[in-house]
Order: sequence, then C-alpha cells, then structure tokens
Amino acid sequence: MSNDAGKAHLETYLAQVQRHLNGLPDAEAREVIAELYSHVLDKVDGVLTPQRVEAAIAELGTPKEVARLNVTERVVAHLETHRSPLSVFWGVTRLAGLSLYGFFVFLVSFTCYGVALSLIVTAAVKPFLPDHAGLWWSDDPQFGHTMALGVEFPAPHGHELLGWWIMPIGVVGGVVIGWLAWRFGIVSVRHMRSVARRGRG
Amino acid sequence: MNDQPTEPADELGKWEIQVRKGGLGLAVLAILWPDRLYGLEILRRLDSQAGMSIPEGTIYPLLSRMKAEGLVDSEWVEAEAGHPRKYYRLTDPGRLRVREMARSWRTFAAGLERLLAPLEIGETK
Repeated sequence: MSNDAGKAHLETYLAQVQRHLNGLPDAEAREVIAELYSHVLDKVDGVLTPQRVEAAIAELGTPKEVARLNVTERVVAHLETHRSPLSVFWGVTRLAGLSLYGFFVFLVSFTCYGVALSLIVTAAVKPFLPDHAGLWWSDDPQFGHTMALGVEFPAPHGHELLGWWIMPIGVVGGVVIGWLAWRFGIVSVRHMRSVARRGRG
Repeated sequence: MNDQPTEPADELGKWEIQVRKGGLGLAVLAILWPDRLYGLEILRRLDSQAGMSIPEGTIYPLLSRMKAEGLVDSEWVEAEAGHPRKYYRLTDPGRLRVREMARSWRTFAAGLERLLAPLEIGETK
C-alpha cells in the first residue's frame, strides 16, 4: 500500500516534469523521464515509501527546475555544433515556454528575423516588381500613420520612402538585423542556461 | 538598492562554488575513465572520491551535453536492482579530451602551488 502511494507520488512528479519538457522532442523527453525514474528507484533502494520518494525528488529539484535545466543544456549543446540562424531560432523557440524571459527572447528574435527576411526579400524582388516592392508610409484617415514593408498587391497608397535605395539598404539592413538577432539568440540561450544552473547551484 | 557589504565567508563560498563548477566536467570524465557508471553512481563517487557534492538534478543534463559533444556514450542495461539503468562510458574522443583537460589542469595547479608556497612558509613561522 505504502509502495503504491510512493509510486503514485513519483509518477505525479514525473508527469509534472514531462509537462515542462514540451520544448524537447518526444523521444528525448521520454529518455529524460526514464532516467529520472531509474535514478529515484536507485535512490530509494527499491523501497517506494512516500517519505523516501519525497526525499529523493527533493534532491533532484522542482519539476520546473529539472525540466528547465534539461531543456536549456540540450539546446546549448545543439547550438555548440549547429550555429545556423535557423538552428538558433529553433533553440530559442524550444525555450520560449520555459520562462517569461524565454518568451521575450522568442518575440524579439521572431520580430527581428521577420524584419530581416522582409528587407532582403523586398530588395531582391524590387528589380522585377518595382511598383509593388518597397517601404511605404501612409497617412490613413481611418488607421492613422501606417508603415508597410515588403511585396504588396496592390501597392499600398501612400509615399514610398526609399525607392531604388531599398535594394542596398534592404540587403545591408537585413543582414545586420539578422546577424544581431542571431547573436542575441545565442547569448540569450547561454544566459538562460546560466540561470537554470544557478537555480540548482 | 542593496548597499550592504557581502560577508567575506559568502564571498569565499561563492569562489569555492565557481572553482568546483570549473572542475566538474573534468571530474565527471575522470570518474568514467576506468568504468562505465550510471548517474547515481557518478554522483556518489564524486562525493566520496573528490568531496564534490553537486545538486543531483544537474548531473543528467551535464551527461547529456557530453553525449551530444561525443565525449561519452550511453546504453540502457537491465540491472540486478530490477529496473533498467542508463550507463555512461567514455568514447575515444572523450578519453583524448580528459587527458588534455588533465594536463591543462595539472599545469594550472602546479603554477598556483608555486604561488601559494610562500603562504605555507609564512603560516609555519
């Protein structure tokens, strides 16, 4: 009876950890849970009383701490070998649900990569669709001041700001903003790992 | 606004934690040098052989990172205890890395020892 209660306590704990592991692929999450399960069984020498299980899981940390540390370490390990902007953005996306800071980093990265991509695409399309690609500023009586960047059908009403200058400015601006978003992603992911480690330090 | 000065003992504690963290990767790889071990065994040996008591939840993410870097390999083994255990072993690149890290650590420690030698003489006077 006591063993059943202890086992139920352990399974509840592991289910909570798993819920916070949603930034990991299923196979990796299952591996983490299996290892934690094995660890606790070793720790209690197979005697699953609620008290022994509680003591063992207290040593591991709260479900959120354990999950955060596992996800950030895996993301950082992946980024050590895969540094493309797509990999960094993928890493940032995996950490978005773990903390408010993670979500903030995701929002900033998403916005910056979006702007960078828009600038580059607009610059690339401008020679082929000169009236539809660009950066427009309009003063709409209904919506107020609006700015539009990209390839638009039909072309927005309003004043096109850069004309042909969108080509060099779009390429340079896109690359610079993309590079900054990439660096910001790497630094932020490492920072999140430091915070997660301090949480269990 | 916290203008209270940090206690010297706190500062020493923080410094000790940083030193231990710095050596943790080397310690884990070195513990795996002779044998394949599972997580709790690694933690117990770190404690008994090196006096390194680390939060238990930190060992698996560290091992996972080492595995991603190709320094260790792992396999699930059905244990006598009645449940499977995940054993870790050093890979060939892991063995190479731990040798290099050990060499670097010894050079660093020897240099520091030379600097610390006058302190020992001062203490015995």
